[in-house]
Amino acid sequence: MSLDVEEVRRIAELARLRLSAGEEATFASQLSEIVDYIDQLRAFDAGVALSGGAEPEREVAANDVPVRGRPLLDDFLDNAPASLDRFLLVPQVKATPGGAE
Amino acid sequence: MAVEALAAAVRSGERTAVDTVAQAFTRIEEVDASVGAFLELWRDEGIERASEIDRRRDSGETLGPLAGVPTALKDNLSLAGHELNCGSKILSGYRAPYTAGAVERLLAADAVPVGRVNMDEFAMGSSCENSALAVTRNPWNLDMAPGGSSGGSAAAVAAAEVPLALGSDTGGSIRQPAAFCGVVGVKPTYGRVSRYGLVAFASSLDQIGPLTRTVRDAALALGSIAGPDARDSTCSDLPVENYLESIEDGIEGLKVGTIREVRTSALDEDAAEGYGWALRALEAAGAELIEVSVPLIEAAVATYYVLANSEASANLARFDGSRYGHRATGARSLQRMYTDSRSEGFGSEVKRRIILGTFALSSGYYDAYYGRAAHIAEAMRQQFASAFDAVDLLVTPTCPSGAFARGERVDDPLSMYLSDVFTTPPSLVGIPGVSVPCGLDSRGLPLGLQILAPPFADAMALRAARAVELAIGFECSPEAIR
Repeated sequence: MSLDVEEVRRIAELARLRLSAGEEATFASQLSEIVDYIDQLRAFDAGVALSGGAEPEREVAANDVPVRGRPLLDDFLDNAPASLDRFLLVPQVKATPGGAE
Repeated sequence: MAVEALAAAVRSGERTAVDTVAQAFTRIEEVDASVGAFLELWRDEGIERASEIDRRRDSGETLGPLAGVPTALKDNLSLAGHELNCGSKILSGYRAPYTAGAVERLLAADAVPVGRVNMDEFAMGSSCENSALAVTRNPWNLDMAPGGSSGGSAAAVAAAEVPLALGSDTGGSIRQPAAFCGVVGVKPTYGRVSRYGLVAFASSLDQIGPLTRTVRDAALALGSIAGPDARDSTCSDLPVENYLESIEDGIEGLKVGTIREVRTSALDEDAAEGYGWALRALEAAGAELIEVSVPLIEAAVATYYVLANSEASANLARFDGSRYGHRATGARSLQRMYTDSRSEGFGSEVKRRIILGTFALSSGYYDAYYGRAAHIAEAMRQQFASAFDAVDLLVTPTCPSGAFARGERVDDPLSMYLSDVFTTPPSLVGIPGVSVPCGLDSRGLPLGLQILAPPFADAMALRAARAVELAIGFECSPEAIR
């Protein structure tokens, strides 16, 4: 199947990506070619029922032990683009009234 | 000098770790301007770590199996306190807060990390050209691609900058660059090596493995980094074999399967000829060649690109500018910041794959794409299991051709994907794959043979690779940087 520019834009929005007009056009043509290629999978009869997930060889559970301490938090915040006191700083969830969003 | 000999000399005191590491830095200085493998060198720290190793030896301690071996790390493996970019602008400035499980084991074996090497952005690519950070060239011919995504790892080893590099392989990212650069590359059985601290691309496929100049070195390195890790729930608890113990046992009497569906018409003329040499070498070493059928390998590339990109679209959702890496400036809402940061930070191939994965998982398409691909991968696993009922090992060419030119395929993603035609099937079914050089093509560029074994029979794949290495006598001596 082919993907048109509108479809590519719609999927990009789902993936939190914004493409330039040039990228949209190039991606529509490249992704159409790729999806066409992938569509050959219809021809392969897998012939097996997909179980609800392969049976794990063993149950794996991590020990539920809290890790505390300044060093861990410091390492985390050192990588943050913006922080305030001990918190990550991000723009507000809703746009500023009258803002462009 | 090879890993094994270097480590033995450092352990015995015949040479110092400091000299060994200093020599690696000198070699890197000499050739890396041409090769472009390294993104960053850890010079002071490397020398410091080496002198600590020497000090421990002088005080009578027994050193580890990789004592003093200068090692390059792919740019997606965490080493605490060091920058890690995954070949991407979106991770610029990111410093790993902890060390990857495989790298911890490397350090415990007394190897010395000397720097991080280039890769396709988020390990998505087959030529290293999708790196946002640097251009890496094939040491055999600087106009050629080194392969990818572990192109920096393969080029650094081929150019004798380091005897050992770690890479990661999701659909061929260790084996294909190893073949293009004339070195040995191992994708271990899924679960053999901890993925803790490896930046995730497709979690059900990703494995870390070594690239070296000899099969013995690959065996030594794999034995050092493999083993259980409670921090990766997919990592196996099975004991790690001593991969060197049986490596010289040869392949006399082993049944080696060729796959009917690997058509020589899919290979370029040189690759077909190289594959023929490899098969004759296997026979000369006493293996019995048997043709088997694995019909679904013809669906592997399509299956792989659905499953890997679906997982990638979920794994890469975490890169949104909030916690680390690049954040777009001026966004007035959280949503806008996510979209702007991702759109500015990711390169084209990563965006293309996230979109493809999002599409395959989206409502209305999930069953036709992700669901079908998951079915096919499961059926392929059963077909491989049946094949291994009849044979001990399977072989294919690693790639349909030797290295292609840089720039040749960047605008044609599908043709780039098709170079993974032989490396994606073992990834999808979780079995080990070793690429071993099997000769040079008519352009003087290396060709690789891929050797596959049942799950956790990594030792047998290495043993066969050693037999091929001995029979063919390949010498990794690239003209372009001699």
